Amino acid sequence: MKLELIDLTKRYGNFTALNHVNITFTEGIYGILGANGAGKSTMMNLITDNIPRSEGQILFEGTDILRLGADFRRVLGYMPQEQGYYEHMTAQTFLYYMADLKAIPKREAREEIERLLEITNLSRVRHKKLGGFSGGMKQRVLLAQALLGDPKVVILDEPTAGLDPKERIRIRNFIASLSRERIILLATHIVSDIESISDEVLMMKRGRVVGMNRPEKLIECVAQEVRESVVPGHFSLEDVYLYYLGE
Amino acid sequence: MRELGRIIERPRLVLALVVILLANGLLFLREQYEKDFCLDLDLPTGGVIFFDGSLTVTREEVDPRAAYRRYTELLDTMRDAPLPEAQRALEEEKETLTARLTGDESRDEDSLDYVAVNNLLKKVEYLAGYGDWLAGIERNKENLLTFSIFNDPDSFSGRNIIKTAEEFEKLRGVELSLVSDGAVGAFMSFRLTDYLLLLALLLVVLSFLEERKAGLWGVVHATPRGRLRLAARRAAILLSASALGVILLYGTDLLIGFTVYGGYGDLDCAVQSVETLGRLPMITSIGGFLLRFLLLRAAAAFLTGLLLWLMVAAVSNVKYTIVVAAAVLAGEYSLYTFLPVQSALNVLKYFNLFTYISLADLYVNYLNIDILGFPLGIRSISQFALVPLVLLLAALCIYVHCHKKPAAGRDLLGRAAYRINSLADKALRRLHIFGMELYKALWVQRGIIIAGLLIYVALGLTYKVNIAVTTSEEQAEKLYTAQFAGEITDDTFASIDAEQHELEVKISAYEEAQAAYSEGSMEYPEFDRLGREASSAKIKSAGLKNVRARCEELRLRGGEEGFTPWLIDDTPFESVYGPAAEANQQKAALTALLALTLLLAGCGAYERQSGMTFLLGSTPRGRGALLLRKLLLAAVMTALVWAAVYGMELYTLLTEFDITAWRAPAKNLPALPDFPFRCSLAAALALLYLCRWLALYSAAALVLLISSLVRRLEASYIAACALMLLPSLLWAYVGIEFLRPLALILPIEAAPVILSSGGGIAPYLLWLSALMLAAAASILRLFYVSERRGHRRAII
Repeated sequence: MKLELIDLTKRYGNFTALNHVNITFTEGIYGILGANGAGKSTMMNLITDNIPRSEGQILFEGTDILRLGADFRRVLGYMPQEQGYYEHMTAQTFLYYMADLKAIPKREAREEIERLLEITNLSRVRHKKLGGFSGGMKQRVLLAQALLGDPKVVILDEPTAGLDPKERIRIRNFIASLSRERIILLATHIVSDIESISDEVLMMKRGRVVGMNRPEKLIECVAQEVRESVVPGHFSLEDVYLYYLGE
Repeated sequence: MRELGRIIERPRLVLALVVILLANGLLFLREQYEKDFCLDLDLPTGGVIFFDGSLTVTREEVDPRAAYRRYTELLDTMRDAPLPEAQRALEEEKETLTARLTGDESRDEDSLDYVAVNNLLKKVEYLAGYGDWLAGIERNKENLLTFSIFNDPDSFSGRNIIKTAEEFEKLRGVELSLVSDGAVGAFMSFRLTDYLLLLALLLVVLSFLEERKAGLWGVVHATPRGRLRLAARRAAILLSASALGVILLYGTDLLIGFTVYGGYGDLDCAVQSVETLGRLPMITSIGGFLLRFLLLRAAAAFLTGLLLWLMVAAVSNVKYTIVVAAAVLAGEYSLYTFLPVQSALNVLKYFNLFTYISLADLYVNYLNIDILGFPLGIRSISQFALVPLVLLLAALCIYVHCHKKPAAGRDLLGRAAYRINSLADKALRRLHIFGMELYKALWVQRGIIIAGLLIYVALGLTYKVNIAVTTSEEQAEKLYTAQFAGEITDDTFASIDAEQHELEVKISAYEEAQAAYSEGSMEYPEFDRLGREASSAKIKSAGLKNVRARCEELRLRGGEEGFTPWLIDDTPFESVYGPAAEANQQKAALTALLALTLLLAGCGAYERQSGMTFLLGSTPRGRGALLLRKLLLAAVMTALVWAAVYGMELYTLLTEFDITAWRAPAKNLPALPDFPFRCSLAAALALLYLCRWLALYSAAALVLLISSLVRRLEASYIAACALMLLPSLLWAYVGIEFLRPLALILPIEAAPVILSSGGGIAPYLLWLSALMLAAAASILRLFYVSERRGHRRAII
């Protein structure tokens, strides 16, 4: 399975949010690190075709996703950065609604929703309206809907924002446990969320990918470059992140 | 007073209160016009009726404004006259006017004079008879106490009879005057103000819960001044709001009332001079009564406000407060409205929240209820209970405010709501996308309330008008048309000719009788009878000739244009669709358009407001497929609105009239000589209703487009209502002619455009096509933006 971004560019007037990005994603978890405005969400919105691209192509299994249309979205699971939900719906109704939109048959949806409510620890509040949920609970509902339908491409934009440490670890472990037969893009600026679970980490800055490698390789590369100023053995992915940010 | 500042700085609250104030004033004024300025406009009946039919020659209607002016002038001339003298003079005048109006010598002014005299006479009769009425109460007491069942002085009945007589005995010396009492009468009978005041107080009370909505309840509760002091301040704010609300709302009513009816100068007259307040056993002037009433009204409003505050404050979850308040209000209203006066539980009827809301009832009705065998006046009970109740409720409100814990966990209502949600979830999980869209529109966006209101309004709309027949000849023509209605054949002409012959025989018989009478060979009664018959026959003959001419014209046109000629009685169609019914058509179309706009305006905006756009766009069915369901939803909503409004219209047509000409070609209808399709009348009507559905659905597509361009629900409702309804309202009710092409009610009404002299079927179809093209463009645009979600930007 392959998702290719070829020369992908997004401009808003004179501002370039994503600048000629070329990446090929295969099965695995990709952690995307970058400061606010680095272009993480723009890249994700382009992959989900929620914003029009200015230049470039996005190919899934060799075909442009615009041509694939609904067929691509059938294999897509997306959790947006902004919490979008219908506050008058209960968690269960919302998940059934999303399952319908994802064209999942009712019987399958029922089993999946039960499983996801359990995993996201929402079973006991499934009949509560989303408007009455805390920020963390809403995040978990959105994560659950993203994973409905066993998607092959999972795009998670800040999935652990607003979660308490215990929930964060729980969700992180769950993401890590997801089958490796899928592409998981996980954007965050919390380094610890991806340090241990990512197969590869992308560092983004001002719309460009400034580094992409396995976490230990990134640490090694950066450590070599800055070895004079750090204590050997105490170099982490967080330091790599700060290095790429220029701090 | 930061709390007061916080409340009055909320633009929505201030806007709502201003709207309530304006609505109250306008509706009060409107009611005066609708009630014909409280005048009885009936004129004496009489005149010659030629046929035993439903049609009679109608007299031109009396202008209520002019009649009221005449009434006031007359009242001013009679004001200082002794009542018996005034009564005599008015009775004589009424007799003279009645004779003139039922005879042949009536003048244009007579109708106005009659209405003024008749109404003033009724008033004078009341004033002159008031002393007798009081004496009647005393006589009634003497009579009733002679019966064994009433004369026990220790029973409620005995005590009630004695108490009633004693209370009205005090009014014996009161001197009543002929006053202009329209303002006070209208003020006491306009109950909407009571409910608008309740609504205003509810809005103020709900503003006390802002901290709960904003998640600041715990913070406020934890501050040193967030409990007792804040509660006391809120009580003071509620008191001020009650007083101000009463002054503004009731003050507006009085101001408009005195401006319309006059009567400032009569404020020092006895309150019983106002007929509505004749049963008030209290010696005071009109001005004194109004002052007392307004003070009590303010106190009662404060009490009502406190009760509302207590209800909503006692429930932790803001969402449930409305439900609780609505349930309590509904319960109280049911008791107040439906509990019989004679019921053993009638204390619940009068010791009720709505007694304090509809305070005027206490003053226009006299009633004692049985409290442990003692008769107590409902007014006295309510008045004396007011102060202790206010103190008790204020203390309770403050107690609840101070002791209700913000983080006390899920309460009983919360648990009940969770249980209800779980049941609802069971049903909702079976729904597919369309079902969920319907659920969102009807339940989440409260469309069910709009639908309920629509049905209520549709049931109350008027769908037909009585076609006024102004001449006897026209009356005869209508009745002959009904008599000979059907396919025009040689038999039709033969029947008409036979009838015509009979009439001519009567006319010539009278001509012969004239000669015979002048020769003295005929007695006067016989001559008079023949004269009246001939006079009637002449009118009938003229009407019949018109009917024959119409039959001939239709037969000729039928031959030329290839349709079967039918004589159709068009009264039913004129009554429902004709130019005379245009105001009805406008109201029906406006109702349909408003309901449809409100039902659909939230469709797109709700997605945007909920931040769901990108999430939906990432799903396989969240773009075109979802939009298709929305369009289907619009079609269903259109059908609902169409069925409610036009279903009622069709029902009226079918039940009010006996139509037999359904098979007749539509071209036979006098209003449709140029109808381009060769179809039956039934098919033409089906086409009309289909066009209306298409026009409504096109409007629905435009609403969906507007909704998709707006980010917030409120903005969407405002924008959709403004764009869809404002041109129609300004054209229809303000007369701005250049907005006519944008008035969407016209293609929805259809009939007035098709039937108007400047219109016709072709211009109408052109108009409908333009609207449908706009709708098609809207749908294409919606598909484009839904498939390319990223291109979409909200404009509001």
